[in-house]
Amino acid sequence: MEKMMQKLSDNILDKLSMDFLRNQVLKNAYGNDDTFIAKLDPRVLLVWYLFFALVPWFVDRLPFLLGAFLLVAVTTVMARVAGLVLLLFVVGVFSQTGYLFVVSLLFGGNAETIVPLLILTLKVATVSLASVTVFSGLDPDRLSNGLMWFGCPERLSFSISYAYRMLPMLMEEFQNVLLSYRLRGNAPDSSGFTGKVRYLIYQIRVIIHAFYPLMLNTAKRSRTTVEALEIKGYRNAAVSPEVKKLKLASLKVGYDDMLFVAVSFLWMALTILATTIL
Amino acid sequence: METMKRPAATQSQKLMIFVLTMALYGMATLFTELIPSFQVGVVEFSVEYFLFIPLVLSMLFDPISAALGAATGELVFSEIMLGQFGGLGELEKFITVTIGVYLAGRMVKDPKNHKMVGIAALTGTGVQLFLGMLVDIFKVQFAVQDFEAVPGLPESVFATEGFAFANDLLFSGILFCMLPTLYLVPKLYGKIEPLLGMEPRSEKTALGAINGKVILACLGAFAVAVAAEMLAESGMSLIDWEADWAGSGTALAAGMVVAAAAAVIVLVIMKKRAEAGKQN
Repeated sequence: MEKMMQKLSDNILDKLSMDFLRNQVLKNAYGNDDTFIAKLDPRVLLVWYLFFALVPWFVDRLPFLLGAFLLVAVTTVMARVAGLVLLLFVVGVFSQTGYLFVVSLLFGGNAETIVPLLILTLKVATVSLASVTVFSGLDPDRLSNGLMWFGCPERLSFSISYAYRMLPMLMEEFQNVLLSYRLRGNAPDSSGFTGKVRYLIYQIRVIIHAFYPLMLNTAKRSRTTVEALEIKGYRNAAVSPEVKKLKLASLKVGYDDMLFVAVSFLWMALTILATTIL
Repeated sequence: METMKRPAATQSQKLMIFVLTMALYGMATLFTELIPSFQVGVVEFSVEYFLFIPLVLSMLFDPISAALGAATGELVFSEIMLGQFGGLGELEKFITVTIGVYLAGRMVKDPKNHKMVGIAALTGTGVQLFLGMLVDIFKVQFAVQDFEAVPGLPESVFATEGFAFANDLLFSGILFCMLPTLYLVPKLYGKIEPLLGMEPRSEKTALGAINGKVILACLGAFAVAVAAEMLAESGMSLIDWEADWAGSGTALAAGMVVAAAAAVIVLVIMKKRAEAGKQN
């Protein structure tokens, strides 16, 4: 039994290593651009998202919410989202409302409290799954183009593209700095409870210290980035309508997009029908 | 060398500060989002706040660029990249982070003054957490109909939110915001500014103390965050009213189903034809 517990905790620690986190993030960002969702037009998906991000907040009928939830659950599966992201979603949604339920029991709540909380959970879950579908299923470049088409500030779409390109580099650099700090320092003994606490404090201190060289390096890099952008006339291009037109010329609405919208609409119409009958 | 003498940042330097804060804070929030928090009883130990990064940068550089960069970084890296974008709620987080970081940055006139740096770091965190708590309470009130009627719910929301605020401020605020800021600001002061071609901040080049205009602007921004939630409430009655006016709901829904089914069938046929046309 003890051996099994040991194995289990080793397994969990393995899973939570820096490399694992990095792989999951990269997989989420770059790994699935061949799915049906990723090939859809970003503008159509954004409008679709807007519906599922706003409407559930306004509706309190259980059949409608359940139907919307099922639909976004199916699209999430279609988008092949990384496992870690889904796990975080589940933990996030249920710890939030579950915790609230337990505390409301303390203040004299009863089983009746669970119905409004269930509705709240469904609303939160639908909205977050819709966003998981759109924002993790879609290629970042296409997403930023779609946002730009709707007139979002150029700086936001620039930030998204920049983030996706720079993230692997930044993470690697952070890891390298962290490892070099560890190499030089002598980690305290982590046996026993006080040892564990001391080890945790040591870890946090190393992370904070690592930000000192990291900040200097990133400052240098961001200067290079901005200077490179200036050479290409970025600040002028960001406001020029001609550049925008050229950039957005690749967007096209096809049959798949219309089909996606039509099927979603059909499903929602069916749930509305069910709501009115029930 | 001319740029070294200019007191305020130029446009491209502002963009540099924006990119720097966005990249660093974004990556840090990405990690905190991925590392699950663990709870001991009701006390939650989470490494929620890497807020010291934008705090340090806003004290050393132009505060508004650093504040906007931090908020955008969090939005892009940890919400959009991980696909956890939550719609309305994100606007509120964006605004509260911007206000907190900006105020802290404006408070510090001379980064060499340790006491002021500490006070500013704690104030910035406190403002951000407090505004976040207010919005959280509003959110539950609007999402759950008949909020007052559900037994035990109002008290429990106030209790959990208030407790979370105090816990975050004492635990994350001091441990993860004040102490790292106190360590990093003096160490980076005078070293990081030349990398962006700027003069270090001093009494002369500071933007001036927080005045009524700044506070007014912050309150206005917070009102926008709350207004987004209010809009949800009024939107609810609007939709109900429309549904009443439409009369027979079932007939309308059945019509919608027929129309949608027809659209799906037409589209499938059109797609098949288009593909067949391509092959020929």
